[in-house]
Amino acid sequence: MIAKFFQKGVSRRKFLGTTASAAGLGLVGSTLPKRAFAADKTVKVGFLAPLTGPVAAWGKPGLDGCEIWAEWVNDAGGLEIGGETYAVEFVGYDNEYDPAKARAGATKLIREDGVKFIMMLGGDTWAGVERVADQTGMLFSTLLPSDLGPETTTLIAPAEVHPVYNVTGVEWMAEQHPDLKTAVICAQDDALGLPSVATYLAAFEAAGIEMQQEPLLFDPATTDFAPVVTKLISDNPDIVCLDTCYADYVHPIVEQLFQQGYEGQIISCTADFYDQMVEKTSKEFMEGFIFQFPDFDDPELNKDFINFKDPNKFFEVYNERHPGEWGAVSWEYASIMDLWAAAAQKAGSVEPDAVLEAMTADGSGKHAFGDADWWGEDLFGIDHALVGNWPVVRIEDGKARIMAYKSIPEWYDKHGELLKKHMADFGQMWNQRG
Amino acid sequence: MPRSLIHVLAWPLLGVFLIALPHVLSFSQQEILAYLVFNVLLVASYRLLTLTGEWSLGHVVIMGVGAYGSALYTKHFGVPVPVSMLLGAGTAALIAMVLSYPLFRMKGFYFLIGSFAAGEIIRLLWKRYREPFGGPKGLKRIDPMPDIDIGIWSFDFFEPVSYYYFALAVVAVCLWIMWRIERSPVGLTFHAVHWQDNLAESAGVNVRAYRTLAFVIASGFAGLSGALMAHYIGTINPTSFDVEQMVFVLTWAIVGGTATFYGPILGCVVLTILNEIVLREMGFEQMRPMIYGLVMILSVLFLPKGLESIVQRLVGRKPAPGALAEPTRMEDRA
Amino acid sequence: MIELLAQTGLNALYAAAYMSLVAVGLVLIFGVMGVINFAHGELFMMGAYTVVALYTDFQMPYVLVVGLAVMFVGALGIFMEWSMFRPLRDNPLGGLVASIGFLMILQAAVSMGFGVRMEHVPPVTQEVIEFSDRVRLPVQRLVVILAAVVLLAALWAFLKKTRFGWALRASAQDREAAALQGISIRQTAQIAMFIGAGLAGVAGALTAPLISVNPHMGHSVIIAAFIVIIVGGIGSLEGAVIAAVIYAFVHTFVTTFYDGVVADIVGLSLMLLVLVVKPTGLFGTADRA
Repeated sequence: MIAKFFQKGVSRRKFLGTTASAAGLGLVGSTLPKRAFAADKTVKVGFLAPLTGPVAAWGKPGLDGCEIWAEWVNDAGGLEIGGETYAVEFVGYDNEYDPAKARAGATKLIREDGVKFIMMLGGDTWAGVERVADQTGMLFSTLLPSDLGPETTTLIAPAEVHPVYNVTGVEWMAEQHPDLKTAVICAQDDALGLPSVATYLAAFEAAGIEMQQEPLLFDPATTDFAPVVTKLISDNPDIVCLDTCYADYVHPIVEQLFQQGYEGQIISCTADFYDQMVEKTSKEFMEGFIFQFPDFDDPELNKDFINFKDPNKFFEVYNERHPGEWGAVSWEYASIMDLWAAAAQKAGSVEPDAVLEAMTADGSGKHAFGDADWWGEDLFGIDHALVGNWPVVRIEDGKARIMAYKSIPEWYDKHGELLKKHMADFGQMWNQRG
Repeated sequence: MPRSLIHVLAWPLLGVFLIALPHVLSFSQQEILAYLVFNVLLVASYRLLTLTGEWSLGHVVIMGVGAYGSALYTKHFGVPVPVSMLLGAGTAALIAMVLSYPLFRMKGFYFLIGSFAAGEIIRLLWKRYREPFGGPKGLKRIDPMPDIDIGIWSFDFFEPVSYYYFALAVVAVCLWIMWRIERSPVGLTFHAVHWQDNLAESAGVNVRAYRTLAFVIASGFAGLSGALMAHYIGTINPTSFDVEQMVFVLTWAIVGGTATFYGPILGCVVLTILNEIVLREMGFEQMRPMIYGLVMILSVLFLPKGLESIVQRLVGRKPAPGALAEPTRMEDRA
Repeated sequence: MIELLAQTGLNALYAAAYMSLVAVGLVLIFGVMGVINFAHGELFMMGAYTVVALYTDFQMPYVLVVGLAVMFVGALGIFMEWSMFRPLRDNPLGGLVASIGFLMILQAAVSMGFGVRMEHVPPVTQEVIEFSDRVRLPVQRLVVILAAVVLLAALWAFLKKTRFGWALRASAQDREAAALQGISIRQTAQIAMFIGAGLAGVAGALTAPLISVNPHMGHSVIIAAFIVIIVGGIGSLEGAVIAAVIYAFVHTFVTTFYDGVVADIVGLSLMLLVLVVKPTGLFGTADRA
């Protein structure tokens, strides 16, 4: 009864789309509608991420993106691998961001469903799966490269090398606005926030920007951000850095910055739903906001070196089906699938070891934002993070625009020691973890 | 006659069933089964605590103390895993002892909330101190149980079946000990402390000492259950022991019923199978918490004495003396 | 420094306002029904989602939506009383478990109807009262503060001056004796549930434009509310308000001058200290709980 009430309430937001996704939840884990495609075999790919609970926002939208990816591939007749055509099917398992459930899920996906590749959010849940990966040799991917270590030989971080790419935003900002000299930073006190703080501190130091205060950490359960903001801007900084705060924190913080009269530069890792922030503040206030995640309708994404297939169309279809859900993870899992499909085709096999071998053989790979290198030995103890260019995005007249693609390896060649120093300060180097 | 025959045969039959069980299950169900065994110990230890009438919201954090303790002892001092598990359990008991001083100044609802606060503080300390607790990410790559070869049998404890047998043996012994405690004069005093607080006191029973004793013993077993879990999964973090996990333990106990020894165990087994196997197999993903919540409400509404009351009706036995009566209103006892 | 103190004081005032609305509702329900409503944070959430559904999506006037949120969440409260708390009257632990089940249902319903990500609530007003360059009070926050003062004053008058209020207080003190006095327990329980849930709903609806609205937003609110009602003394409405003010000021000032995690630890320690020193809370009395 309650659910019905609410479904009526959402009619403006494409009632059909929402109910279809609500009704189709049973679909997760079951086969996709059969289509008349030429594929004679099916390859299954596991999706082991939180689909319910507080962390679901980092999993569910990714699965939605993958379903679009699979549909496109299968409608086009499937993947040609080793002389045979394969349809791709995703098998979801909701791990609720719980290591024990992730372990049970990995076992099910590998031993019962026979998947050939498993995509994860990573983090706490990777730690639970690690031994399963050791024993089975299954190929896994994570969105959090901090899961990597010398012993994780079958884990790759091919989509985002969080938080290292944040240096590109700071570097670009410092080039454009050499007058900005002082900064403050705040972050939620968790596994995502801390390595990101270290990265920003390194990037600021490299750019000659001085920190006014110690990084301000808040508990993930914070709801009212007025006190945080009051403290941040108490010394009139030129730059306020929002680190890798979740959207649920970025929005109220930005709104408070607006209401408490801040007028300087803002830089952040993400700005999901920035249009809502524009509405909550003003176009003028949000002008020049720098972050790292483009909208996929950006014309800059149609450049030749971009490897993500038809980003504009993907963005359009996604928003049609899941209005109000687009975010960074919407495309990342799908982009990992591009990389996997290319490697499987190259290897002529869907077996995990062959795919991994083909993927990393020549030390480079086709990242969504252009060809990139397998890298990471220094920070993670293994070259299993795909690093190349990353876009710097700025809000102009209420719309996110890619300003430049900046090379992460080039920055690292110059300032790598700084990054290692700050990472070590926060206990984030691979040999300090665990 | 046939009745006593059943009683004689019941235990061996149960044993055979539990030993054969993993071989008829799928791989992921074996994983869940192993996990279920730790939780049975946890919820059984929780009942021991509730015998004295106190309901804690800190029990899962105490379990975490055992898990963190055992993991850290192996990591920093190289203690062999089975020994560290016992040390972890001991640490949990010790922490419970310390906590009992402030906590047992309270009763009823106040104890409930006080135990929650104490638990949250411990959890925030794990989060806050990256050394040695690992901060929000917790501990990873915790040493596994070493493999064992005994003659023809070899146990690789990565395999859920092997670990299940190991945990089953440990938990069986623990349950037996708890059963003995409950039937001993000490256990009967626990009941007395619950139901006739004042009477017990006037009869010269040191009520607070008995409450503390129950709390410490229960915490030791909870700690052991945490240690069993830590060395199996290989990772723990502060969120593994948050209030949401505690809520699950509480509901297992109440849905199962706490008048009998097996009630909470029954609740744990039935609800876990429902949530992890039945609802997942039926393909409810986002709807799973909703159905689980509905089942919880319906069961307290229509089975106020818990699942155990169904068993009692089937077996046709009267509940054990001293463990009947209705749950008291918490406020009356505050 | 003066400006920083003044701004932090305003921040704390707002936090105290919405927290006391939530905590007073929780206390009222506990007092009359003897049950801990674990789903109280989710009632707060339902208030916020009412705003999302009617104000964001249907663009109804905000003031009307807030009124509807009170009615809707209050009705949810009555439904909870009728379906769960009344049948479980003599089983407070059962009531607790049922409210946990209800919480899971509400969260799942909202996740399915609205998605797992945060929702957007357009600003109702962007007006800001500027006392100085660095001391500002957004009008939306002022509205929350004023609403809390008015509603709590009205509640106080209702409890002290009306027959219903008298019945409510009587049954909170001693249910059996109240029943002997001819007070309808059923009726008072429903009124208490409506008011308690409605207060959570109005807090959610009023703060929705200011905070992140997502299916799990109730969680952090309920923990703060527990701390507040313990410090204030369970069952004491005045205590809940005063404790909300104390907690909000301590938490806000510690966040601003140290950091947020320390503030949480301080808050919990404060509660434990009160429990140890005076288990009945600062304003509770020994015979009531």
